[in-house]
Amino acid sequence: MTASKVELPKKPGIPGAIIFSLVFAFVLTVVTMITVEFSLTEIFSNFGRRNLVADGLLNPDFGQILSERSLSAFIETLQLAVLGTVLGGGMSMFMAYWATEFGNPIRWLRAIVRTFNNVVRSIPDLLWALLFVTAVGIGILPGLLALFFFSMAVVTKLTSDTLDGIDMGPIEAAKASGSGLISMLRTAVIPQILPSYTSFVLYGFELNLRASAVLGLVGAGGIGSRIEFFRSRGDWSEVWGLVLMFFLVVFLVERFSVTIRRRLV
Amino acid sequence: MISFKNATVEYQPGVKAMDNLNLEIKEGEFVVVVGLSGAGKSTLIRTINNLVPLTSGELYVDGEAVHDLSRKKMRALRSRIGMIFQGFNLVDRATVLQNVLMGRVFKLPTWRTVFGVYPKADQQIAAKALDRVGMLDRAYSRATDLSGGQRQRVGIARALAQEPKVILADEPVASLDPPTSHAVMQHLQKINQDLGITTIVNLHFLDLATAYGERVIGLREGKLVFDGPGSECTEEVFEGIYGRSLTAEDTLSEEA
Repeated sequence: MTASKVELPKKPGIPGAIIFSLVFAFVLTVVTMITVEFSLTEIFSNFGRRNLVADGLLNPDFGQILSERSLSAFIETLQLAVLGTVLGGGMSMFMAYWATEFGNPIRWLRAIVRTFNNVVRSIPDLLWALLFVTAVGIGILPGLLALFFFSMAVVTKLTSDTLDGIDMGPIEAAKASGSGLISMLRTAVIPQILPSYTSFVLYGFELNLRASAVLGLVGAGGIGSRIEFFRSRGDWSEVWGLVLMFFLVVFLVERFSVTIRRRLV
Repeated sequence: MISFKNATVEYQPGVKAMDNLNLEIKEGEFVVVVGLSGAGKSTLIRTINNLVPLTSGELYVDGEAVHDLSRKKMRALRSRIGMIFQGFNLVDRATVLQNVLMGRVFKLPTWRTVFGVYPKADQQIAAKALDRVGMLDRAYSRATDLSGGQRQRVGIARALAQEPKVILADEPVASLDPPTSHAVMQHLQKINQDLGITTIVNLHFLDLATAYGERVIGLREGKLVFDGPGSECTEEVFEGIYGRSLTAEDTLSEEA
């Protein structure tokens, strides 16, 4: 072997688009900081001041959870989350099916369903709650409707993506053996998507549980209403007591749900 | 039993996958269909159970006029025709038994399928079908845990569970290695001989066609260009069907 050197080809330069994007992101950040008058010194000087909200966090009142009204609001929140997810998740099965090519062969009808799904998904949970509070008044019903639409949107999106990716082979086999639509769906489609779908519904439940806490802030029932009540009175110990308890519940339910979801897929 | 009369299939105007075909297949025959890919083999098989409708002409299968059949009667006819696919078309997550029971669905009320409650008699039929292809001991395995050859045997069992009069096999061994291919072909041959089920198999390996085809049908550009016993299929005949000289890729074994 000869000892002659090998010349590497010229290293390609960093594309202009990347350099431009980085400079743009930096300039944007600086401009934003100036416009919103962001200042670290202000944050630190504010720390030293006496702060009622922070005082409440240091002495949370967990006793509040045992009070009858808070407890029932808590249970109401859980019920909202469960019911909203079951209804929304159930409906999403149909919405996802009608958004697929084999479930809805008529192209323009499919386009309508897909557009509807996209619009529903782009509306955040709190906005749904505000909409329904305005439409049907304060209470648990607007909260339920908000969670229904919110979880339906999320689960529909995930399920229809799964449906688009299923193996069409078993469907052809079912058709070739003379099975009708319902039997075909049951034997060739459901077994393919059931584990993913179950996992999506559980995910929707996690989202709904978190969302259900803030629904009350706009008058849509649940624990949020109690938190808003104490907040407006300035009872920060009670506010934090409820928030921390809620955090614990959400954490436990999520751990449980995530464990199940891992096993499913 | 199966009879094509001036049958034509046009996917697009001017593109004929089946061109004025006249063909009779008698009950109990074992027919192998050969031809290049795109010659219309899959189309021929799929017209028989009306997965592909005729554009013009007539087709009679088991006494039914396939070209003019109500939806309900078409499903009934399909239930009497078992189908085996190149890609197996099993539900991977389901068990072997669940896959085979799919062959019983037409005969059962919908609620039974929905709840997955299959009568003893139907389970017995599924078990017998699995036993025939030597897969009974894997009844509760998931389809995804099986090898390619085993999956195709489950595919055969699913077709058998329909207790069909006709079995259609579309390139059943194209995804399998040579020994497994022979095993699958032998299962099909034995089922044809034991049960007298009319069997139509698409193949593109010519040595398999001569070995198993009691009758070989050659297609080229949707037209029937050969019809005779497998023993008469010489290299010249195949070159006539293919319209070119043969290569090593046209046979399953390496020598050609």
